[in-house]
Amino acid sequence: MSHPATPPRHPRRFRGPHGARRVQRTLGLLLPTLLLAACTGSPAAPRTDAAPASAAPQPTGPLCAALPTGTDPGNPSFLAGQPVDQALRWIPTLTTFEAALRTSGVLTDLPAGDGVTVLAPSDDAFAATFSEDNWDDLMTHHTDQLRTLLKAHLITGSHPIADLTTAGTATTLDGVTVTVTRTGPTTRLGDRADTVCADYQATNARIHIINAVLGPLPATADGTGHRAH
Amino acid sequence: MRRQRPTLIAVSTLIAVTLTTAPTPANAAPPDQVTALTAHQADGYTTLAWQPVDGATDYQIERTPVDADNTPTGAPTIVGIWRPNRQINQHAPTFADAGYNPGDTFQWRVRARTGTTEQPYSDPVTATTTAPWGNPTTPGEQLRTGWETTHAAQYTTDTDEYAYTAAIDALSDRVRVVELGRTVQNRPINMMVIGHPTPAATPEAVAATAPVAINCNVHGNEPGDREACLIMARQLAFSTDPRITDLLSHTTVLIVPTINGDGRANNTRGNSTGQDLNRDYSLIRQPETTAYITMVRDYRPVAGYDGHEFGNSRAGDLPMLPPRHQNVAQPIFDQSQDMIEGHMYAKGAEAGWWACPYGCEGGGNVGLSEETILRNTLGLKNVTNSLLELRSSGGQTRPDEGNTTNNRRRKTYSALWTFHQFLDYHRADRADILKARSEAIETQAANTGRLVFRGSRPIPAHPAPHPGDSPPPLDAPPADLILDNPPCAYKLTDAQYNDARTDGPGGVGTTVAQRIAAHGWKVITIGDDHYIPLNQPERGLIPLLLDGKGVEKLTDGERVYPTLTGRRNGPLAVTGFTCADDATINGPVTVRTGAALVTTATTISGPLIAAGAAGILLADSTINGPVRIATTGTISIIDATIAGPVDLSGNTAGTDAPVLAGTTIRGPLNCTGNNPTPHNLGIVNTVHGPRTTQCAAL
Repeated sequence: MSHPATPPRHPRRFRGPHGARRVQRTLGLLLPTLLLAACTGSPAAPRTDAAPASAAPQPTGPLCAALPTGTDPGNPSFLAGQPVDQALRWIPTLTTFEAALRTSGVLTDLPAGDGVTVLAPSDDAFAATFSEDNWDDLMTHHTDQLRTLLKAHLITGSHPIADLTTAGTATTLDGVTVTVTRTGPTTRLGDRADTVCADYQATNARIHIINAVLGPLPATADGTGHRAH
Repeated sequence: MRRQRPTLIAVSTLIAVTLTTAPTPANAAPPDQVTALTAHQADGYTTLAWQPVDGATDYQIERTPVDADNTPTGAPTIVGIWRPNRQINQHAPTFADAGYNPGDTFQWRVRARTGTTEQPYSDPVTATTTAPWGNPTTPGEQLRTGWETTHAAQYTTDTDEYAYTAAIDALSDRVRVVELGRTVQNRPINMMVIGHPTPAATPEAVAATAPVAINCNVHGNEPGDREACLIMARQLAFSTDPRITDLLSHTTVLIVPTINGDGRANNTRGNSTGQDLNRDYSLIRQPETTAYITMVRDYRPVAGYDGHEFGNSRAGDLPMLPPRHQNVAQPIFDQSQDMIEGHMYAKGAEAGWWACPYGCEGGGNVGLSEETILRNTLGLKNVTNSLLELRSSGGQTRPDEGNTTNNRRRKTYSALWTFHQFLDYHRADRADILKARSEAIETQAANTGRLVFRGSRPIPAHPAPHPGDSPPPLDAPPADLILDNPPCAYKLTDAQYNDARTDGPGGVGTTVAQRIAAHGWKVITIGDDHYIPLNQPERGLIPLLLDGKGVEKLTDGERVYPTLTGRRNGPLAVTGFTCADDATINGPVTVRTGAALVTTATTISGPLIAAGAAGILLADSTINGPVRIATTGTISIIDATIAGPVDLSGNTAGTDAPVLAGTTIRGPLNCTGNNPTPHNLGIVNTVHGPRTTQCAAL
């Protein structure tokens, strides 16, 4: 006997676990994404070879090797066919950010169809910014602050990192404009965070993993990184 | 060294022939080369063992993925660094390599380093690692957690957990899933009750099997132990290994996968109100901790483990710590230390895991005496137990854990090893654990010695070689948190006992009465006064919640001291609340209707008769005469000697079961018409006479 809630053992490319409905929706959303990609022949983009539409997404950055690759569950090709909230669940360094987005409901509040770009701080980034007590306090008692913090990591539209670099700035959903500059192999955002694995794709979305937390909240981590049991 | 001896012979032969060229023969091991490398497979890890090299500073363990033809499919990587301070048997170095996809095939080599100088690698060994447990085509065994099916990319979700445990329940006669309660956000708090061939039917029947309890996930952002618990539950439910069936035939295993389901879902340390639940096990302000403590009351586990993860990168693989609070009875502290240092350190040295004391290695001011922490709460409830930490990062030992899923696998499979060792320890040392528990309960009920409100026993460094460079921090009690003269009982007013409280979720808290009931303490009510005597098993915990000196207390109870001490001759009629300590009473004692008698270190020569009394609590006392207790509210007789018949009849006024434990009765024992039925806390009585009806098994 198997239990129904378990994800598929062998992830299927470009198809979610819920069959035809998801496929239909995916195809509908995939088209504008591909059109957008086709229009962005930025010289800074690492690959200018007109990749076929079905080419596997190739996130780039120093952290990518530590994340599921190849045919591992949660690999980038599989995630490209997942809704963004599901895709975020598959990226094992985003447990803090993913739970916060889910708890706060920020993602579900986004207007449908516009697409989204997620600047996703890694778990290490959160641990280096907020003390465990402070983070629990934000998660349980300060939903408004939390939502503002999370909106500082979301941009309307699905943008490859090269597009953001070309534009030079991006405005996050909290209304703040951050600079986006190429710094060698990675990209720097808001003079604070660097991409560590950029250009994950999800349905009508891009996910760029970054190594620092953006937004207005003060750092409270004390450097010890842990509390007693 | 076994392989070096023929090599030396061969070299000396060659020297005689061609002294100048002397090429090292292909099979010759240079003296600094690691030899006799072996790889032993277990669930989720591989134990590498080798002959030590004289003068080695440390060893590097290299792993290379290979295919079926032994051709490398990836780069060789240093995955482990072994240092001498990590295990207590340094003459037989071992390293538990984990953090790979179980079932894959690898080649390993090990080399010594002298200072920073790398010596030659050993000959390689190649092996296919053990795939996730359970035949994929056998019903039950084929179940997998969400964590396993996603190759550790995702933790098992709440709904996955419920489906998985329900499937185990449905497919295995050995497992019963019970709901202990609900979280603040109404998630079920489940417990798997596992026994062979079936688990005992009721909590009381389970308690009679001296069960063990594993609390898998209290901090929502420390999920590694929980995944191990879910995997182990499948093994216990379906394995035909004689070891497993033997374990389950001798005890009941209680697994609580997730008491903090809300925190797990949100990946927060605390529950949905932000409360750190591992600072609440004594106060039980939250429904999650209340569920666990009520379970401890009803199922009476005799041993426990509490799973965590630890962010200190200098720590060992598996930091552990016993209940240190100084009010914990010495036998429980000693037994817990024996489990950790006697068993886990020794077995860790065999398997290659670095078990060590929590709080060592510059761990900071951690691992202290807060009774709000489950480790200490359980110790104060006479449960042999340990904290278990899984070091979050690869740390000093495992330099290649940047890959998140591999890091998660190492943590979970090291926890799985620990939990299995815990069951083995309980199986082998059950008699000692039960003896420690009996002695502890009798010591506590005797209510002797000072009370400490905060302060720990020292954890001396394990005799060299010890697994860690420094012992955990000292935590001596400050003078103002010591009470040298313990009271007999605490008296609470009705308001203190029954008034609504505001310290729970949403500003609504359960009453002190409800919390005392959840802890399972005996209470004697006389009029509007509620007495909590200290001559009961949780004597070390009661003052921490009810004394004005308590650091994290529920209320300021009034200390009640003994009114009856020394020698007294003639008949005694007890009225009101009477406490006898170190008294000798020559004459019959009658406890009047609505009155209560509490004794410690007291001898009564004459009959002891109570009818319609509020309560009788005897501990560490001698009655030279018959004892007859009828229609009385609260009853506890622990570690008494009674020369005469004992009759407990028609006691239906109390809300909790009469206790008769560790007592010697020279005469018949009759129990009829009591509700609830008397029990013995798992400490058998010695009765020199017939036992009837309700007390037949006591």
